[in-house]
Amino acid sequence: MNNDVQSSAQGLVPTSLRALIIGFSYWIVSISLTVLSGSMAAFGGCLVACLLSDMLLTREPMNRLRTTSLLALCIGIFFSGVLLAQLLVNTPALAAFFSPVVAFNIAEAVKWSAAAFALSAALRLLAYRTSVGAVIEILFVAGAFVVTLAAHRNGMIHRPFFIGDFALTRGIDPSTILLAFGCLAVVSLSALLMVEQHYRRLPYHFAVLGLLCLSLIGYVRLFGLPTPQMTDDLGLTGNGQNGGAGQDQNPFRDSENTADDKQAPVAVVVFRDDYEPVNGSYYFRESAYSQFNGTMLDFPNRADMDIDLIKNFSSGRIDTQQLPDARDQRTPVRTTVGTLVAHRSPFGLSSPIAYESTPNPNDLRFKRTYDAYSLAPEYDFDFLLGRETGRSDWSEDLVQQYLELPDDPRYRQLATELTSNLRPEFTNDPYAKAWAIKTYLDENGIYSLKNDHAYETDPAASFLFGDLTGYCMHFSFAATYLYRSLGIPARVGIGYSVPATNRGGGSSLLIQAINGHAWPEIYFKDIGWVIVDPAPQQTLVDMTTDPQNELQQLLGDMLRDEASFDDYLETRQDSLIDFKTVLNTLYTLLAVMLLSSYLVKTYRQWAPSYSKPQNQHRLIYRAALDLLSAVGIHRNYGESREQFATRASSASPSMQVLTAKHLEIALGSTETKNLSKQQWQHLKSAIALELRQSVSAGRRTWALLNPLTWLWSK
Amino acid sequence: MSTDSLTETPSNESEQDEVGYKSEINLLERATQTLHRLSSAVKAQVLGRDDVIEMAIIALIADGHVLLEDFPGSGKTTLAKALGEAIVVEPSDKESPIAAFRRIQFTPDLLPSDVTGVPIFDSNSNAFHFRHGPLFAHVVLADEINRTSPKVQSAMLEAMGEKQVTVDNVTYPLDDLFFVIATQNPLDLVGTYPLPTPQLDRFLFKLTMDHIDRDAELEVLNTLKQRKQDGNKITISRHDVLEARKIIEESVFVSDAVKTALVDTSRNLRTDERVLQGNSTRSIVLMLPALQVSAALRGRSFVSAEDIELLLPKVLGHRIELAPGVSDMNKILRDNMQEPMEQLARGTLG
Repeated sequence: MNNDVQSSAQGLVPTSLRALIIGFSYWIVSISLTVLSGSMAAFGGCLVACLLSDMLLTREPMNRLRTTSLLALCIGIFFSGVLLAQLLVNTPALAAFFSPVVAFNIAEAVKWSAAAFALSAALRLLAYRTSVGAVIEILFVAGAFVVTLAAHRNGMIHRPFFIGDFALTRGIDPSTILLAFGCLAVVSLSALLMVEQHYRRLPYHFAVLGLLCLSLIGYVRLFGLPTPQMTDDLGLTGNGQNGGAGQDQNPFRDSENTADDKQAPVAVVVFRDDYEPVNGSYYFRESAYSQFNGTMLDFPNRADMDIDLIKNFSSGRIDTQQLPDARDQRTPVRTTVGTLVAHRSPFGLSSPIAYESTPNPNDLRFKRTYDAYSLAPEYDFDFLLGRETGRSDWSEDLVQQYLELPDDPRYRQLATELTSNLRPEFTNDPYAKAWAIKTYLDENGIYSLKNDHAYETDPAASFLFGDLTGYCMHFSFAATYLYRSLGIPARVGIGYSVPATNRGGGSSLLIQAINGHAWPEIYFKDIGWVIVDPAPQQTLVDMTTDPQNELQQLLGDMLRDEASFDDYLETRQDSLIDFKTVLNTLYTLLAVMLLSSYLVKTYRQWAPSYSKPQNQHRLIYRAALDLLSAVGIHRNYGESREQFATRASSASPSMQVLTAKHLEIALGSTETKNLSKQQWQHLKSAIALELRQSVSAGRRTWALLNPLTWLWSK
Repeated sequence: MSTDSLTETPSNESEQDEVGYKSEINLLERATQTLHRLSSAVKAQVLGRDDVIEMAIIALIADGHVLLEDFPGSGKTTLAKALGEAIVVEPSDKESPIAAFRRIQFTPDLLPSDVTGVPIFDSNSNAFHFRHGPLFAHVVLADEINRTSPKVQSAMLEAMGEKQVTVDNVTYPLDDLFFVIATQNPLDLVGTYPLPTPQLDRFLFKLTMDHIDRDAELEVLNTLKQRKQDGNKITISRHDVLEARKIIEESVFVSDAVKTALVDTSRNLRTDERVLQGNSTRSIVLMLPALQVSAALRGRSFVSAEDIELLLPKVLGHRIELAPGVSDMNKILRDNMQEPMEQLARGTLG
């Protein structure tokens, strides 16, 4: 970059604007990584760095120092800041003097301000000294916003809170706001970069970029953000809602299992009745693998199997064909479920007995909302002991269906071995046997998303008699086969399992992708399907998630009571500008402007044909100016018509003739002889012809499409 | 400056005019031809100075005078001489005391009478006869005008302003074509009497000459002998020049938009804080005929922005006093012209 390029971007306004934008991006990035003092310090550090480097880099002695030594200085500042922060936290005397919290806050502030200062000074330095530096800087800022937006795309719409709350209380998707921020920042920074190169063209570029961003936001408003493709965990969400393809799929190959999107919220449940699960987890059943298809368990194709399940969504209320028993040991629970991603089938708190769809309070956020009526179990361990399995109205054939398993003697062998050590009074107790098997899996199984069993004929056998390393699908299938081998009717339940602690005392519960689960369940006579879920004590996967209490509460509030939430919104909106209306007005205005621009553009070309001869010199000349302007030849401010004509003559020599004639009429005496209408038209067509010959086809197409070209002809 | 290419296009256009459409146009064409003949006569003698020649002719026709700032040996005498000698006097005026060309070298010891002329006692007729000084010429080259005393300068300037010379209370009129090219060396200022701004106001143009380009300089050397032999082949009668002056004044149209641009530029200049004293109203009054000549030279029957852009810096440059510490006259003029010129350009669209 040469000197005059630098000086043109040295003004106070560009400098501080750039500092603000970069500072804002640091702040956005730091929000989720540090405490308030840290992010404020990051913002401040960046501001100072930007302003200082803009002021000092071109002066003595900074302009003499090499780029590498200045970069080393930045790195030095970074490390000394981190060191100082360490010192602040680790020195007991300081902590005692300030109180530990204050010391920690100070340390965070020091660390973040140093980091932000060093990084932004380094970026600024590179932007000054190298040609790619400015691009790196823009990429950094864009990246900061994209990262924030990407987090949002996983449903963390509450971060940063004030944007999320601000938007939601006005009924706007916060993504729009975040997008707008991102667009604004990128546009401004690119504009600043352009200041350094094309000072004159700045407003034009600004307008084009602004329009692009506005159309991007418009697109998102109309069609929504592209939903991130989540790993189709257990086939709960993938393949739309009807799940035809899922029947043919091998559940063990449900896709590459990764924990990347484990945080992604998939649904929110609002509890209308008080309920605490006995075993510490809420189980939401969606479907079950119960019929053995020759290789493994699959969705049943018999009408009499799993009639307690409801497979499809309906617009009204839909009840199960079969209610669970032991009503006195169950409590009716009504929950409202709002799915955030599309689901195959409705799911409800075990055991669901009816679903009723409800009005969607926010179709931007919820794919579907419905009330789930459940009879949730309250029985404990003792209640299940000494029970028989199966159901009295099951046919012999049906019982056989629930007992079928792969033709592998090892299952029965292992099951018998595991149950052989039971105390005499429990040797024939199905629940005790099941519990013994569960205990074996709990103690010996290793939970891991990575496993080698997916392509075995019987992945469950490969798991159970192999390394015992797998995820819930392996555990549940293995357990189910073991139960069945002992004559206990069992199936694999599919749905979500959420730790009860996640509810955190509130009435809403957020279900995240990681909560997708499969578990074995056993049918006990006069009770129903009972979940006997192995919980491996060893795990190779970090299954913890950040608490999402705010999001949980926010979504819950949104879902809970449509009417009251709407009322709340309305009361808030009374005192606020209705942003939706503003935005809609803006788009309408844009459309009207676009249309009228085209109208004006067309009118100015055709006007000469319909006007009097004495106006021809003006109208034809204006039409010719429009033609030139459309291909990017504009008269500069203060430039005379003759100069412009000379300049334009490389593209269209006739322009000089037209200009001379135009000026003769415009500036000459009234007695000057005018040309005839045909002669004027002839001159204009000559210019149009010359432009067709001298201007590339692409440029001409753009000239035709661009509605605003006439604005620049003067 | 390629005046040829500029004049070509409109003349093609005028071919489309029906014959005898307007006699005024034909008159104007004749005046333009006179100017072109005059300029080619001078151009044959002075090489590489087309721009200065053009300005000199504009000043001559517009009844103004020119102040040249340049270096010794840059061809200004040749220019003035060629211009003076290109204009021939009709046989009937042969007895007139007016010469074609005179050169006055100004020195500190020069007296006013050396310039204007002096009454001499004729013992035969027993009366004083006025002996005409060098001012009685069509073209006068006043060399190094800043080297002479203010007294001589003022006598000179009276002649330039009033077109007359007063000696011993007798006023002698100068020729209608009286045209002064004065020079001063911008660098060698020791022992000079710089002309104050009010006196500079007498000059229509102040032109700064640069050295001519390489090709032109070579051409000067190559054609030296030839030009000396040829002398002035093309000549124009004094009557034609005066007629051209009259025609141009009458038939080149100055629109209100052009006048507005001139006034607005002047007003802008006066309010510019970099300017200590703006240009006078007289300066734009004097500029009008010059603009008309410039338009005619380009074959136009109306004054356009092009003429203003060409002449305004040369007319106003020496009439404006800048605030202390400010030196970039051209930039100041450009800045203040920009907005009125933009208005002028926009105005043509209605």
